[in-house]
Amino acid sequence: MDPLVASLKVAASGLEAQSTRIRIVSENLANARSTGDTPGADPFRRKTVTFTSELDRLSGSSTVEVSRLGFDEGEFTTEYDPGNPAADEKGYVKMPNVNVLVEMADMREANRSYEANLQSIKQSRDLISATIDLLRASQ
Amino acid sequence: MQPIQLFELASKQAEWLATRQSVVAGNIANANTPGFKAKDVTPFQSVLETTSARMAATHPGHFTETEMASRVITTKPTEEIGVQESGNTVGLADELMKEGQVKRDFELNAGLVKAFHRMMLMTVRR
Repeated sequence: MDPLVASLKVAASGLEAQSTRIRIVSENLANARSTGDTPGADPFRRKTVTFTSELDRLSGSSTVEVSRLGFDEGEFTTEYDPGNPAADEKGYVKMPNVNVLVEMADMREANRSYEANLQSIKQSRDLISATIDLLRASQ
Repeated sequence: MQPIQLFELASKQAEWLATRQSVVAGNIANANTPGFKAKDVTPFQSVLETTSARMAATHPGHFTETEMASRVITTKPTEEIGVQESGNTVGLADELMKEGQVKRDFELNAGLVKAFHRMMLMTVRR
């Protein structure tokens, strides 16, 4: 396989992995205040993404895949809110273990990586067209 | 008449640059993969000076890697980036810089081939 075509494939796998990450971040952000609906019930648990490098046997280059969608086993915080349907007998509600700041930082990082992958796709495309331009009749 | 070696040299360099581009793309794609070690291709100079040993293909079904693919090495982590908490050694800025280098060299290479080709046509025409 042509290395330039292989690099397009690799960068596309990076785009897919980073967009999965952005999807998980937005799920976490959307559910940052999702509590349970019965007294003492567990709220939304923060999701995590892990990447792994995979060898593309056809081209010998290393693509990236999402290896596992896991859950953050961190402690839930509690808030005093006796009116909430998920409040226990003392009036405390368990809130999701989502830290909005951490999610924002994660989103920014995913964003940067996505842009870097886009940059390599553009570059590979430019190199391929520079090669094709050799065939164009000069003058 | 002397054999014309420029095309051979240029295509070898183009192959090296294309391989380097795919390695750099792999590094960028794996910038957030835990435990991933950044890779690079050995300098073009050393590719020219040495020939690497390759596995023999004795059957049409055998896959052989190209000469350049056997030149891919794991790079040492640089001073300023080092090894991250996750065991990753890719520095995005570094990789983007390498991409710029590859692009410049590739365009120079293509331009030279084009110029040389034009010269050859000049002798053939009219």
